[in-house]
Amino acid sequence: MAEAGRLTATAGRPRRGLLHPVTALRVGIIVAVLATWQLLSASGLLYRDVVPSLAAIALALYVTLSDPSFYFHLATTGYEIGIALAIGGVSGLAVGIALGASKLMAKAYEAYLYYLGPTPKIIFFPVMIMWFGVGAGSKVAMGAVSCFFPIALNVAAGMRGIDPVLIRVGASFRANTWQMVTKIYLPAMRYPVINGLRIGLGVALIGTLLAETKLSNRGIGFLVIQAYSLFNMPQMYSLLIVLFVISIGANALIGRLGGLHDIKRS
Amino acid sequence: MSRPSKGAAANAPEAAPGKPILVVHDIVKRFETPDGILTAVDHVSFTVAPGEFVSLIGPSGCGKSTLFNVIGGLIDGYEGAVTVAGERRSGPHAAIGMIFQEESTFPWRTVIDNVAFPLELAGLPKAERYERARHFVALVGLAGFERRYPAELSGGMRQRVSMARTLAASPKIMLMDEPFAALDEQTRLLLGDKVLQIQQELKQTMLLITHNITEAVQLSDRVLVMTYRPGKLKREVEIDLPRPRTSEIVSSEAFGRYVAQIWGDLREEASRGLRDDEQYQLERKDHP
Amino acid sequence: MNSFAAFARSGLLTRLLPAALGIGSIVVLIGLVEALIRLGLINRFIVPMPSEIFLAFPRIVVEENVLSRFTLTISEAFSASILVAVFGIAGGVLLHRFTLLRQATETWVAAIAAAPLVLIYPLYLVIFGRSATTIVMMGFTAGVAPTVLKTLEGLSGTRRVLINVGRSFNLTPSQQFWKILFPAALPTIFVGLRLGLIFALINIVGVEFLINFGGLGQLINELSERYDLAGTYAAICFVVLVSVCVFVLMERLERWLRPGD
Repeated sequence: MAEAGRLTATAGRPRRGLLHPVTALRVGIIVAVLATWQLLSASGLLYRDVVPSLAAIALALYVTLSDPSFYFHLATTGYEIGIALAIGGVSGLAVGIALGASKLMAKAYEAYLYYLGPTPKIIFFPVMIMWFGVGAGSKVAMGAVSCFFPIALNVAAGMRGIDPVLIRVGASFRANTWQMVTKIYLPAMRYPVINGLRIGLGVALIGTLLAETKLSNRGIGFLVIQAYSLFNMPQMYSLLIVLFVISIGANALIGRLGGLHDIKRS
Repeated sequence: MSRPSKGAAANAPEAAPGKPILVVHDIVKRFETPDGILTAVDHVSFTVAPGEFVSLIGPSGCGKSTLFNVIGGLIDGYEGAVTVAGERRSGPHAAIGMIFQEESTFPWRTVIDNVAFPLELAGLPKAERYERARHFVALVGLAGFERRYPAELSGGMRQRVSMARTLAASPKIMLMDEPFAALDEQTRLLLGDKVLQIQQELKQTMLLITHNITEAVQLSDRVLVMTYRPGKLKREVEIDLPRPRTSEIVSSEAFGRYVAQIWGDLREEASRGLRDDEQYQLERKDHP
Repeated sequence: MNSFAAFARSGLLTRLLPAALGIGSIVVLIGLVEALIRLGLINRFIVPMPSEIFLAFPRIVVEENVLSRFTLTISEAFSASILVAVFGIAGGVLLHRFTLLRQATETWVAAIAAAPLVLIYPLYLVIFGRSATTIVMMGFTAGVAPTVLKTLEGLSGTRRVLINVGRSFNLTPSQQFWKILFPAALPTIFVGLRLGLIFALINIVGVEFLINFGGLGQLINELSERYDLAGTYAAICFVVLVSVCVFVLMERLERWLRPGD
């Protein structure tokens, strides 16, 4: 049990050799999972088509990634999510700051956000279609509405968590509202904002993708449901793999941009 | 070194009069750091007689917290021996009660449940637990607050709860690591009164780690002054102020003389510590 | 005037004002929408009149069995909640206990928590069929990872001094866990549960909507396909009610377990 004083932890993560127990365990788990999968697939115990062989999945992955139209769909979804995050993010930030700054506003309205938040926004999709049409508009709307809530709630909580001393410092320098927001509030609540963004990304993804599965002719969600309707399972898996890799990467990227050093902190 | 101080130890129930209840023998504790081997405690030895109140005072970074953890059994890997009531031991021991510097009440338990914690561990039935715990809650002056939660109390009150909890385990020795560091001066003085009261009533042996000279002189029979790193015992000062004492003693002349004497010893150590700190910060800036 | 001043000074005003403001502004908004639709400024085929929505409530209760659908959805939610709680907390405890496992898999769990797992639903359809099991499993799958992570965070984030208190009393590892680590971690565990249940609920109603099976999600799907907008909005209110029930209950549970906060 080392004492405080001047003991400094080793900077950064240690480099792990191949025989390091952690690496060994990870490799072991991956091998076990893949082996079980392949066995399930070959034996046909579970519905044969739901567990295609690893080779079939690998092939489908190759086919997917080398198909230029795939990137078109990827870009569509990416564009929808990007705009959704921008709209939901900015409005969530604005509302969150307003709620966090004023106890009255918070007491009056925050509960509505809190209980409306976990409501799946896909149920508003038919309404969105009426308002924004069957194209990208309704998907963006879905994503934006989805991510607005966690962002607003996290920002409001983050505002309340700011050390009041910092706010008094800003006031003593007579900072105007814009300066307060950009120079004090936002830097002080980096972590809650970033975490809100990650959760927002997660729910925006769900909202947009589900909207694409329901009614669309482009985007990753559409490709997934198309693969399913054609019962092309390997194709579906390959799409899911790509999708998951990208979303995990995006999540980690947001975290790193915010200065958090691993994606597990939330 | 085990000169029993006048007054307090006369009625000690444990051990034969004159026989120390705590023997700290030749403790050496070193740490490995990126900057090399650091000797926190360098051949420290002293004893504490039953019923005595001893303070260990030193500048920041002198290894007194390390010593606290060694005596309490929370760290090992040291040279030397710690003997409690004749038994040499390592690891936490029922005979030693520890009070920590930080907030240590369990926020999810009421005051009475906090204090009853050691009695719960001992397997006492509920009614008896609560009765005994109530006694200690009253002892620290918190009667009436039994059903409150720590969040509803002030910092000083929470430290009193921690104290009552440790006392409820009836340890032979109370080991305290700057328990009042987070409190303001006036609260400290008043709590000091409380501690003196408790010590007198229970004839409790106490070892206090502190950096506050006033506190050390106010409460102790003996003050042990430590040097800056590597921590050694620089001087032992017998506090020959009358018992029973109250916080009014701080205005007496004799009190002032003791404080001046101890500060004289400490000042040199403290300024070494300050210079060292500044040097380190400068170096860190150059090699981030 | 005198009684009003007394009323204002009594503090009742400050307590009632926010709620009044909230409800009041919503009522005003509804009234405004109603007026705008009646005036033809908002297309009544895109936004149904609030009065129609109001009238739709009794209709859908009687004709569409809203209450039994509500029961179905909320029981799916509860089943998923229990699964998420049990496996999520157990998973977090396991990772906390076995450091090697934690070091190997923690980032993986975080990755799972970040991925849009909802798209797995066609697979669950094939495996579990068009049944409530699919829906509950989807909810569980979506909610378990955040819970594991937060449980782990809560346990490992226990304040050092509380652990030392336990050590100073010579607690056995089991006592240390149940008497110190777990109670100390409860607030964070509940944060994880809330997050997990949010994702679970989104997935449950979402999948009901998509596969056109189950309770309220299916109802909304049907109503919207029939272009019964007023009914759709009324049903949406019931979905919000599900969310309210689940989270209010969780709050009660948390307050019961940690009364000191």
